[in-house]
Amino acid sequence: MSSRSLWRSLNFTTQRRIALAETPYRCFSCSRRRLADPRADSERMTHFGFTNVPESKKETMVSAVFSSVASSYDTMNDLMSLGIHRLWKDHFVRSLNPGSTITSRDPDATEQGWNILDIAGGTGDIAFRMLDHATNINHDTRTRVTIADINPDMLAEGKKRSLETPYYKSDRLSFMQGNAEHMPSIPDNSVDLYTVVFGIRNFTDKQAALVEAHRVLKPGGVFACMEFSKVDNALFNAVYKNWSFSAIPLIGQLVAGDRESYQYLVESIEKFPSQEEFRGMIQKAGFMIPGRGFENLTGGIAAIHKGIKPLRA
Amino acid sequence: MARPFLRPLHYCRNQIHSSSSPSSFCSARVFLFSSRSVILQQQHCLRGGPLLSRYRHLYHSSHHPDTPPHEYTNSQTTILTAALKHVPAHGFTRDALTLGARDTGFLDVSIQLLPRGEFDLILFWLASRRGLLRAAVERNGLLRPLESEFVSVEEKTRTLILERLKMNNYIRHQWQDALALMSLPSHIPLSLSELHALSSDILYLAGDTSVDSSWYTKRLSVSAIYASAEVIMTQDSSPDLSATEAFVNRRIEDSKAIGDKLNSAKQCLGFMGSTAIGLGRSWGLKI
Repeated sequence: MSSRSLWRSLNFTTQRRIALAETPYRCFSCSRRRLADPRADSERMTHFGFTNVPESKKETMVSAVFSSVASSYDTMNDLMSLGIHRLWKDHFVRSLNPGSTITSRDPDATEQGWNILDIAGGTGDIAFRMLDHATNINHDTRTRVTIADINPDMLAEGKKRSLETPYYKSDRLSFMQGNAEHMPSIPDNSVDLYTVVFGIRNFTDKQAALVEAHRVLKPGGVFACMEFSKVDNALFNAVYKNWSFSAIPLIGQLVAGDRESYQYLVESIEKFPSQEEFRGMIQKAGFMIPGRGFENLTGGIAAIHKGIKPLRA
Repeated sequence: MARPFLRPLHYCRNQIHSSSSPSSFCSARVFLFSSRSVILQQQHCLRGGPLLSRYRHLYHSSHHPDTPPHEYTNSQTTILTAALKHVPAHGFTRDALTLGARDTGFLDVSIQLLPRGEFDLILFWLASRRGLLRAAVERNGLLRPLESEFVSVEEKTRTLILERLKMNNYIRHQWQDALALMSLPSHIPLSLSELHALSSDILYLAGDTSVDSSWYTKRLSVSAIYASAEVIMTQDSSPDLSATEAFVNRRIEDSKAIGDKLNSAKQCLGFMGSTAIGLGRSWGLKI
């Protein structure tokens, strides 16, 4: 009997303790609890690689990363992707086939050729390829590209490289520093082709950038984006993840002397939405999706997404 | 607006032979189409009345409306339809697509709407002509003069094959390029499925009701005749396609002859077999 009473008292005390430790859930306390959370109210968070940072800080942090990698950007791309990024970029440009093969029946000179906006294209990789394609394949010398980048160091790198191309100081190539989420200097309905290649995952607010792309594109204009994506084969994915998480930061450390930036790179790839999710985001911004909407490259390591602005919104 | 998959349709009917559960297959496909086209199809069925009831799908639930011949979105159809006008001059090329896009108020870059480029133009041509052939029979009564008990399925099939070939007439100088494009390894599956859809349509419209293995052989022979006639047609210089017509007639005669021979051989073998069994039994073998 005594043991039972002892047990009961023990039981009682433990129950009491639990009841005391638990914060009672009452509905009228919800708002107060939310107010008590210091982060939620003052600042929205976004991810910077695997860490969460306030939205206002991401821009400067990304900017620091790219300022640090700008000079060794090309060597590093070759080493990290084993040169495959060149094939991807060539395929991307070829599939878009920039430049008009047939001269317009409209003799209005300003409307000849395409007006291409290359976002986050600092080093000019895509821009020079597109101008080359338009000139050499389609014999179109009117197509022009505007390179926009948020980072002046990357733009400087692109300007340096443009010295070696025939487009230096021509009206076919221009540079612009700006944030893709808000580009007041570009008027509505003025761009034929909007490209963003390996850039959109660094944006703080991707949806805002997509909406801005929709604004600047002419009706019928095309949004084309190449970005790292999700590998669909489990076995290949294991190999790829091993490579990206162990080899890439190491290469970054050895070649560019900057491990953190490349650690960020692979983490940001991991955080980027899957093909289907990103297609949904493009659709949400008001674009028409052609066919499946994306094309996987090298088993889904990268994917090309496309959207077309409808004629009548 | 956007469809998850962009590929030509395979008709739902007759799937009973190739698919274990035809009804679930069909309903899943029909679900993909926009509700508007379904309603249009239903209205069309209602207006069709007695004529259509004769062409009711034989192995297909009448609750499912007819499937449209292709699965392109409105904008895609607009560009493709306009581009077809430029095919005689520019062929099945990106130039034709670009001109089509310009005609309809799109930009040069808008042909990105068609992920397969010029091959989409060819597929659209095939699918839309197939739709026109159906319309010619179901609405314009192409086969009405042949509607009697004495006209064989072969005769109607012949008429339909020739009718379909005539639709290729004004682009026939461009058709060799299109055939070359269709025979690229990556394009073969879609080209073949479109050919099967056409032969299936022709036999269905001709009133073929076979449910045995001849279902397959008939479709195979119609596909073979049509595909070879297309090649002949690209080199046919006679103004009214009389050479192609003669070719088709000969091939149909051939296939009929082969079919007859096979039938006789089958009968002969069956007879010999049953004789052998009877003989064995008469000798006291336990067969």
